[in-house]
Amino acid sequence: MAAQDFNFLLATDSYKITHYKQYPPNVSKVYSYFECRHKKGAQFSEVVFFGLQYLLKKYLAGPVVTEEKIQEAKVFYQMHFKQSVFDEEGWRKVLEKYDGRLPIRIKAVPEGKIVPRGNVLFTVENTDPDFFWLTNFIETMLVQMWYPITVATISREFKKILAKHLKATSGSLEGLDLKLHDFGYRGVSSQESAALGGAAHLVNFCSTDTVAGLLMAQRYYACPMAGFSIPAAEHSTIISWGRSREKDAYECLLDQFPSGPVAVVSDSYDIFKACKHIWGDKLKERVMERSEDSPLIIRPDSGDPAETLIEVIKILEECFGCSLNSVGYKVLPSYLRIIQGDGIDLNSINEILEKLSDEGWSAENVFFGCGSALVQKLNRDTLNCAFKCSYVEANGKGMDVYKQPVTDPSKGSKRGRLCLRRNSDGFIETVERGAGKPEEDMLVTVFENGTIVQEYTLDEIRKAAQLWEDDVSPSQHNKEDGPTLDIHQKHIMNGVH
Amino acid sequence: MTFRSPRPLIGQCTPFGPAHSDSVTHPPHQRRLVEREQQKLTVARDSSHVKGKMEQHTGAVDFNILLATDSYKVTHYKQYPPNTSKVYSYFECREKRTDSTKLRKVKYDKTVFYGLQYILNKYLKGQVVTPEKIQEAKEVYREHFQDDVFNEKGWNYILEKYKGHLPIEIKAVPEGSVIPRGNVLFTVESTDPECYWLTNWVETILVQSWYPITVATNSREQKKILAKYLMETSGSLVGLEYKLHDFGYRGVSSQETAGIGASAHLVNFKGTDTVAGIGVIKKYYGTKDPVPGYSVPAAEHSTITAWGKDHEKDAFEHIVKQFPSVPVSIVSDSYDIYNACEKIWGEDLRSLIEMRSADAPLLVRPDSGNPLDTVLKVLEILGKKFHPVENSKGYKVLPPYIRVIQGDGVDINTLQEIVEGMKKHRWSIENISFGSGGALLQKLTRDLLNCSFKCSYVVTNGLGVNVFKDPVADPNKRSKKGRLSLHRTPSGDFVTLEEGKGDLEEYGEDLLHTVFRNGKIVKTYTFDEVRDNAKLKESEVKDLLL
Repeated sequence: MAAQDFNFLLATDSYKITHYKQYPPNVSKVYSYFECRHKKGAQFSEVVFFGLQYLLKKYLAGPVVTEEKIQEAKVFYQMHFKQSVFDEEGWRKVLEKYDGRLPIRIKAVPEGKIVPRGNVLFTVENTDPDFFWLTNFIETMLVQMWYPITVATISREFKKILAKHLKATSGSLEGLDLKLHDFGYRGVSSQESAALGGAAHLVNFCSTDTVAGLLMAQRYYACPMAGFSIPAAEHSTIISWGRSREKDAYECLLDQFPSGPVAVVSDSYDIFKACKHIWGDKLKERVMERSEDSPLIIRPDSGDPAETLIEVIKILEECFGCSLNSVGYKVLPSYLRIIQGDGIDLNSINEILEKLSDEGWSAENVFFGCGSALVQKLNRDTLNCAFKCSYVEANGKGMDVYKQPVTDPSKGSKRGRLCLRRNSDGFIETVERGAGKPEEDMLVTVFENGTIVQEYTLDEIRKAAQLWEDDVSPSQHNKEDGPTLDIHQKHIMNGVH
Repeated sequence: MTFRSPRPLIGQCTPFGPAHSDSVTHPPHQRRLVEREQQKLTVARDSSHVKGKMEQHTGAVDFNILLATDSYKVTHYKQYPPNTSKVYSYFECREKRTDSTKLRKVKYDKTVFYGLQYILNKYLKGQVVTPEKIQEAKEVYREHFQDDVFNEKGWNYILEKYKGHLPIEIKAVPEGSVIPRGNVLFTVESTDPECYWLTNWVETILVQSWYPITVATNSREQKKILAKYLMETSGSLVGLEYKLHDFGYRGVSSQETAGIGASAHLVNFKGTDTVAGIGVIKKYYGTKDPVPGYSVPAAEHSTITAWGKDHEKDAFEHIVKQFPSVPVSIVSDSYDIYNACEKIWGEDLRSLIEMRSADAPLLVRPDSGNPLDTVLKVLEILGKKFHPVENSKGYKVLPPYIRVIQGDGVDINTLQEIVEGMKKHRWSIENISFGSGGALLQKLTRDLLNCSFKCSYVVTNGLGVNVFKDPVADPNKRSKKGRLSLHRTPSGDFVTLEEGKGDLEEYGEDLLHTVFRNGKIVKTYTFDEVRDNAKLKESEVKDLLL
């Protein structure tokens, strides 16, 4: 987004330009909230809250209204609606009264927090009665929060699956946060989405090729380096050697990157022959020269992911042997690993890991790369993200409002001013109709009248979003993690709203 | 996937989450760097509070092409064969030769080429390499790889020899072209033997053109459906361009995506609420009309529910009166869409609605329930209250002052179902328009049209070699060989010629035109040209009606 070019007044759904004329007369406050609606039988029961700080810093903080922007918007909307509907006076008042800063208060759950579906995640309200229309003007922009929330949530679901299998087949969680590498840069819809989605994945993992996500974590979440990568081949660097010189291409990679891991895509022509005849025969000695710190990581990239992976690992076992780990699962020699980056989603990764363990293989042997299933193949309905008005004040009187369509009860909205709290049983719940006590409200004011008043670092966010013991092994108790794992957190896991 | 203990991460991950203490993980010489960056960050944050938004935008000036690629590409210059002097790659929407998945209702056998001009203008043209950017990239990659793998020398060469302009050539089909799947859409090649590695460095950013291509293509397929049913039920295509309104701003993944996606929809239509798309068109394409997309005043739930449940009628009345002389759309399902249609619109406010004109109709908007059932029931109720007439094709049309807009649950499949259902129930498509959000701009992936970018030709030791991949486990992933060109056969079909065969005169002109060379954009298209290239041809409409 080009800085000077961005005009906040042009960053909303067109129809919102007309809404100031539509609210009841004498309205002085509009109060709205965002939630991931609860849906019966939904795949995901809890969400990771992430990304608001980026939106606030990039688009809402400071003086966002100028006379030039008002003029630009006025001219634009005149042409767009073919009539004058733009509220020029209203915006000029923002400029005059607040120096172009937005008289809005946003309260939100801390970033990284894990919250069960169906709870308020943030609220928005105008702080000056003149600007009742501003609350929902910024809905469009704020609802785009669905994206980082959904990516962070899906990525964490991947982490749960990986943690479960890794624990079961290796006895520890070592290396967990490098198990799922972000391959999604090219498969997202823009540079900005790459940055946002890439950063959301980094809430849960430290492994990425989406450089844009690292820069976002630096610039907006104060993390100097949030993720790591390794040298790796792509098809062009293999096939440019010609079909008859695939072996030479591979050897070049081993030569160029002797110390440190290197990943080599090996399916340009025939993944199985490449494993058996090139890696397992012609270059066998070279592969065996490598070490645990500098493994060769073979990458299949076509075919049915589970079948291909099993066949590849069997071929490698024949050529290089394997050993048993402390919990009795097979592990390839430490200089050799596999990364599967094609066709990975929540279903296939589980299927692959189950097949591997069925065949006696530890999850230590494999890494995964995921592109579109991680950062693109998701939408606002994945977690039913919605922003709704729940409270207004008119003629000095407050009123709880809601929608409740007969044609779809799941679209019903919450009523009144909202508070998020942990109840006496340890469950997170939303208290409606202004009945919540301020002292137990988990919503924190993050934005007020143009200023960001609370910030989070990626480190803090990562801590908050850590997996809990129950995510990994529901039946076991790990005393070492006692201090970080209070009774409430365990309860949240089972919390139903 | 680092394994190098005692380097970061391995062995430092706490059982239930990563360790992230920089003081622990970074060796001393790297720690300085981290601290420097932290200082920089602190400064940036502080000033952001003072200067606000202007300071926040990282945008074009801040954009660093050296940091806009997949990490692994940073290491590729070391991997090509020795003495490589050219890498040549191409982009296509692959044709699926075998389709293992369920038969799709829509085949998408042609694609609309759109969006490259945006990427070239925004990210690739001009001086994109500076000493500062090289330094920044060097530092980031040292931390990111925990190693010095960055090709500083290569980038300095570009900085010095080309003043930071990229020595590559991109040839592409004209924007807006409708091209059958499986043909080359653009090619990329290095123009300086030293910069062979640059071709695929820009793959990541160029492949993101899958998105505008896919939005434009999917939007055009919906236009075909609407054209067919509108023609069949009204005898004309009047109003076609306003039949599918873009509701997708909030449902996309970022502001930038909103701009790109919405502009791609406007290749085919003129109705949009995603304002960002118009900005993209004005800035990167240009139109003869002052704006390429229009909207109308419309209610949202908050402007209805804010009146309270007992005052829905008052809300409706107020809003209708606020906009007497233009179309106005009112979401009517806050509590009960059927009651709203029958009692409020059909009785309480009926006379108010009857006063409106064909230029300023009321658009009743349902927003929940099964889309087809809801639309039919709403039409039935409105038909009882506001008597429809029969048009020349024998289909029912509501009075011109009232219409319906369905904007919930609309995707290309439900759209087909709704218009088919309406036709069956003898309702003309004149009665309705549609809004689509997530399905139009977000529920799409690179796999829908199998967009891919592959190397097909290299020059090594002065010799050109045609290269390709052909994985045994998936014949669909086979790539084209050699230098490519796109031609039309005498019968009008498109054909991609491989292995440089297009050089022969007998095949006529290459439809790929150079759009970018050595940092300069050498050919641009206006949005009017794009629209003209992508418009539904008469022959297509004729085929649809068969």
